[in-house]
Amino acid sequence: MSKTVVQRRAMLLGSAAVALAPMSAFAATDVGKPAPAFSATDSNGKTWSLADLKGKVVVLETSNQDCPYVRKHYSSANMQTQQREAAAKGVVWLTVASSAPGEQGFVTAAEANEITRTRNAAPAAFLLDPQSKIARAYGATVTPHMYIIDASGMLVYKGGIDSIPSSNPADIPKANQYVRVALDEVLAGKPVTEASTRPYGCSLKYGNNAA
Amino acid sequence: MKTDNVRAELVSEVSEVKPGEPFWVALRQTIKPHWHTYWKNPGDSGLPTEISWMLPPGATADPIVWPAPTLIDVSGIINYGFEDDILLLVRITPPADLAGTLALRADANWLVCDDVCIPEEGKFALDLPVGVSAKPADPATRALFDKARRAVPTDSPWPARFGLAKSGDPTLVVEARGLKPETIRDVYFFPAEWGAVASMAKQTASVTAEGIRIPLKKGDAKAAPPQSLAGTLVLTEKTGDGEQRQAFDIVAKLDPALVPSAAPLTASNAGESLTLVKALLFALLGGLILNLMPCVFPVLAMKAAAFAQLAGHERSAMRRDGIAYTAGVLVAFGLMAAAVIAIRASIGEVNWGFQFQSPIFSLLVAYLFFVVGLNLAGVFEIGGGFVGVGQALTARNGATGAFFTGVLAVLVATPCTAPFMAAALGFALSQPAPQTVAVLLAMGLGLALPYLALSMTPALQRLMPRPGAWMARLRQFLAFPMWASAVWMIWVLTQQTGPDGVIYALGGMILIAFAIWLLRLGSAGTLGAWLRRGVAAAAVLLAFAAVLKLQDGPATAASASGGPSTGVSFEGWERFSRARMTEAAAAGQPVFVDFTAAWCITCLVNERVALETPAARRAFEQTATVKLKGDWTNRDPEITAVLKELGRAGVPLYLYWPPGAERPKILPQVLTEAAIISELQHKR
Repeated sequence: MSKTVVQRRAMLLGSAAVALAPMSAFAATDVGKPAPAFSATDSNGKTWSLADLKGKVVVLETSNQDCPYVRKHYSSANMQTQQREAAAKGVVWLTVASSAPGEQGFVTAAEANEITRTRNAAPAAFLLDPQSKIARAYGATVTPHMYIIDASGMLVYKGGIDSIPSSNPADIPKANQYVRVALDEVLAGKPVTEASTRPYGCSLKYGNNAA
Repeated sequence: MKTDNVRAELVSEVSEVKPGEPFWVALRQTIKPHWHTYWKNPGDSGLPTEISWMLPPGATADPIVWPAPTLIDVSGIINYGFEDDILLLVRITPPADLAGTLALRADANWLVCDDVCIPEEGKFALDLPVGVSAKPADPATRALFDKARRAVPTDSPWPARFGLAKSGDPTLVVEARGLKPETIRDVYFFPAEWGAVASMAKQTASVTAEGIRIPLKKGDAKAAPPQSLAGTLVLTEKTGDGEQRQAFDIVAKLDPALVPSAAPLTASNAGESLTLVKALLFALLGGLILNLMPCVFPVLAMKAAAFAQLAGHERSAMRRDGIAYTAGVLVAFGLMAAAVIAIRASIGEVNWGFQFQSPIFSLLVAYLFFVVGLNLAGVFEIGGGFVGVGQALTARNGATGAFFTGVLAVLVATPCTAPFMAAALGFALSQPAPQTVAVLLAMGLGLALPYLALSMTPALQRLMPRPGAWMARLRQFLAFPMWASAVWMIWVLTQQTGPDGVIYALGGMILIAFAIWLLRLGSAGTLGAWLRRGVAAAAVLLAFAAVLKLQDGPATAASASGGPSTGVSFEGWERFSRARMTEAAAAGQPVFVDFTAAWCITCLVNERVALETPAARRAFEQTATVKLKGDWTNRDPEITAVLKELGRAGVPLYLYWPPGAERPKILPQVLTEAAIISELQHKR
């Protein structure tokens, strides 16, 4: 008799713990699920909404121009090259600045345009997300944190830009370029082999936005 | 080597190297305040420190031995890393044919962050002369290594397993039995690698006598569910002399039989933070569920019986009754909230059901259930005032009675639902005082709600049956759930005290029943009646004397049989007694005394890393030290007296009597092998 009592206690304990465990303030969207909707203004004042991009493959790239890991991929021209490759294949590449005002990586529209110019970048748009809404919806933790959304609106890739977590640009040629490989697979109608990888970089500067 | 944020140097534990004999070096990082570098698994962002070695042919460097990490929360993003001053230990094995100088060269790079992150790197060189034997470095450096080793997790003394919920979320169970939950806080599992466990999700560990249970969130790795889960378990233990942070390396095996239940409520709320409104809602629901708990049920049954009596009365009387009952419940919950807040303010943390851990409380509640059961069965009627104020008050008719029934409902609800409440109130207890009160009151309202609704709604009241002879039968029947609850409390008691608890509890019940029988004999006023009252009082006193016995008695089931407790090993040690200690010390022998307890984690770690290592054993043997071990698991009074004399509230406590000393030396609470060996070999 005592045994059954213990089990019930344990069960209650477990379920109660799950029911009341404080949950994270961040959503973590799984690959294979519909990508969270968003709507944001870009550095030229144009509004972009994910719903309007149905039928197109979309890449999200969180950015903080002063983060050494973002710099690694821009100083080596890796990011810009991939942006141009993607654009040539009809992919919509959105760079997103999600740092909170006052935090490193926060940009005004003019600053965003200036950054795009100086680093010779070629995203379809530079989205301004000062309230970190997009970053939070996707559970982004670092810059650069990369996401690919397929034409039907499903999240098909999330994680790092490549496989070698370092700040050394010399590692880029040795690394497996996860995003490029995944994009090719998506465009070929194939399932993504490495659909969720370890993101690496600087922590995303949510500031007080995360509270 | 100094960068903007880190002062880094390569240090060695030896100043001269013996060919072929491994030794330790370390990359020491002194980090700018509020900045941090990263552990092997950096968490949500960041990168671990890397060292690449350039060594002479034949020499090898092992991977970094990482200290236990700390959790660093950067506005919601969780990092695992290090602050202030750390040593990353690396074991170097020089070649056997080494001659002249061992030249160590290393390139290291690390990421250092506060809000912003800066990658830094450095080149390090260390030239160590080669000698016939290894020569230790200066004492300051050796102390540094000693401290660093203490910061490295030890292998877990407990087996661990994990189960996967349907959602794929793992729950880790560490079979650390017999721990004292009230002495342990800040339990956290640091997964060794990215992917299996989400580092961003908060961890709410529960510590019970059965072990440590940590529900986790699954990570982002897309691979098949892992077969094993590796990581570092960190916790802080309150010891007799302060607090100790302890870390254990754990490899948990997948246990397919362990399927943690996922509450359906979470599915709809996943990804959102638990707001106060939701917490209140959950608490209200929790309170409602309490009505079905085995302990509360009989109280409600009592209430239902009283209700049946009221069935014929006017509506206003019923309303008054319902409100009074609700008030009783709420006042009791309010008092509990006040107590929780007061205790939390004074000791920092409180475990729900703290009274539940007291065998005295279990025994008294068992008595209460038994006596109320006797009353319901009709063995005696209230009126003599000998049954205890609580029962007398609840039995009183009208608003006062209803009020105290409410109080009683809460009183009995807590002990048997403590484990349930402990988890459910994790949220409430982590909140500021007003929220804690609000959540507890919401739970109380939930408990009172069914009865309140019944008393307020005429439509529901019409469904209540008319008074009649069935009421007496119902009342008698209700004695049985009451007694069943008493049995349950006795079982709880045996978990706390071992089989002896049954003797005290059942013996006490017989005494109480005997007292009641005596008091019901004959008429009042005669000498005989006074005599009977005297004997009855004596019997009741004797029943309550069991309480004292329990207090002094064993605290764990293992020791109840009188044998040694399973947790403490005496291999290689003599059992402590004051006589043996003073005799050996007086004879001029060196004496080492280890006061320990099965539930003391710090004691366990000290034994593993300092007292029971081969080198320490050898040192004890060579110095012919008398090794005494005192087991305080059950608060042995002789040991308690010694602790008190030395001004200690608990274990661990280590005493060393150097040969011929008149007084023992009190050693630090955290021991290292080097400190023990140097202590033992001091004056030789």
